[in-house]
Amino acid sequence: MACKILILAEHEGGSIRDTTFELLGLAHRLAGEAAWSAAEIKALVIGQGVAGLAGAVAARGAAEVICAEADAVKDYTSDGYARVIESVVRTETPEILLIGHTPNGWDCAPLVAAGLGVPIATECSGIALERGRPLFTRKAFNGKFIQVLDLGDARPKVATVQKGAAPAFATATIGTVRSVPAGVDAGQLRATFAGVRAGQAGAVDLTQASIIVSGGRGLGAAEKFAIIRELAAALGGQVGASRPVTDMGWLPHEHQVGSSGVTVNPKLYIACGISGAIQHIVGMKGSGYIVAINKDPDAPIFGVADVGVVGDLFEIVPALTGAVKEAKGRS
Amino acid sequence: MKAVVLVKQVPNTDSPFRINGAGTWVDEGNLTYSLNDYDRYALEEVLRLKDAGRVAEVVVLTAGPERAASALRTCLATGADRALHIKDDALAGADPLSVARAVAAAVKDGEFSLILAGLQADDDNYMQIGPFVARLLDRPCATAVTRLESKDGATVRVERELENNRLQIVDLMLPAVITVQTGINEPRYPSLKGIMAAKKKEIRTLTLADLGIDPASVAASAARFRTVRLAPPPKGKGAEILSGPADQIARELVKRIREKTGVI
Repeated sequence: MACKILILAEHEGGSIRDTTFELLGLAHRLAGEAAWSAAEIKALVIGQGVAGLAGAVAARGAAEVICAEADAVKDYTSDGYARVIESVVRTETPEILLIGHTPNGWDCAPLVAAGLGVPIATECSGIALERGRPLFTRKAFNGKFIQVLDLGDARPKVATVQKGAAPAFATATIGTVRSVPAGVDAGQLRATFAGVRAGQAGAVDLTQASIIVSGGRGLGAAEKFAIIRELAAALGGQVGASRPVTDMGWLPHEHQVGSSGVTVNPKLYIACGISGAIQHIVGMKGSGYIVAINKDPDAPIFGVADVGVVGDLFEIVPALTGAVKEAKGRS
Repeated sequence: MKAVVLVKQVPNTDSPFRINGAGTWVDEGNLTYSLNDYDRYALEEVLRLKDAGRVAEVVVLTAGPERAASALRTCLATGADRALHIKDDALAGADPLSVARAVAAAVKDGEFSLILAGLQADDDNYMQIGPFVARLLDRPCATAVTRLESKDGATVRVERELENNRLQIVDLMLPAVITVQTGINEPRYPSLKGIMAAKKKEIRTLTLADLGIDPASVAASAARFRTVRLAPPPKGKGAEILSGPADQIARELVKRIREKTGVI
């Protein structure tokens, strides 16, 4: 069977990543819109001893899973993965190649596109057919705008797709698994895997917090964080931060909420002076109730907040601290 | 060894962003620009290698219009030795692959052991030029690097940021392309002495013709990377926006927090 859509099935720690099934969900929807057969949706699993994982993907959405195995790709390297993907794409000639926008996905996908001489739409939040053409939707300007891209007559059209862009495919299927040699040996590779380690562990565990007050770049300086700490203390909550704050060393990394920090789901999340770059939003959008305080009325944080205040956080936050203390004193 | 840092001049995030008349990009007329934040970290990383005697020369390169030269000046004032500016009217509206082809052509004979760039540009957020250049030059690449250790003249060890506070350790054979994550270091600022010294440093301008690239190929490639719409994000449920004096807003917030969460 020909291949219309090829997806990279990423795996980690011996299981298929959830994003893989989201890619399959998206692939099935696109195939439906384009009137392509579901039999033309294929997946690629790369690794060593991963035939079982390939079977899991064939059982949940892929009509055929190409299982490319070699010792040289037992662990992820961009060099090894890009070579395998590029070679499989040349054989399968899909219309669309989908890769998760994960740290490994964004690492290898542009290498594949450049190797094939085609463009790539990165960090897509959606792909849909419009007048018969797939259009790729993504955020630009750190979430200030939504950009819709047309990749013209490129074949394949390559995209990395954000987590949560589509519901995971959940129907049982009976796909086949086809083993192919990965076609790379360690001697060819210029990137060598040397391990995975845990980052710096901290004393704070925001994942367990039920109240988080976070500060962002809008605070302007490390010492200004006092007002955030005071509000957190009044509420009995923890202090969080956006990436710029920990990059600038205002707070240790363990306070960072977002894709490169921790994902949190407190009952109450108060974002102060945080514009709401997608990297931050993915880490806190699961919070029960979200309050945003920001001077920019167009800040993307207001798109996910339940209640917002457009104004000077140096006035609002201390006033809120006072009102919280007063309310607690009364009750 | 020599290092080149790929940089970009981007709009300041607090610029007044408006969508252009065609609805396909921002109106650049209102914007103010500066050096992409991620690129400051990339430059700092090679300046540290130079301070440590591991890198002999630091070159900075950009592709962009006339105004982008001021980003190169910033880099020269911060400590880069010389600059390359790919400037060609045919690159206005170019797709990332065309830009990467021009960059690859400009650096391929430069004997650069290290090619560094920021993980992404703060305007388009594409995350493409670094890996594209790596593949076009057939060199290894690592993205979102938070630690770079120059082991010997032949390899570097890098740590790449993964999810959930984990890092992947990778050894790359040189020459290699590395895109850095913010926070990898604390970038220095230009000194007064550096600003004065920068005035004497060379910015070499390169056109597509100098690089042996046909402008028609750029147009053909751009047709495969066309922004059909740029729009504000859908408001979704959107936040209820409170207004009024701070004290009144604070009491309203407490009321809602109490009703919705019960934590007060």
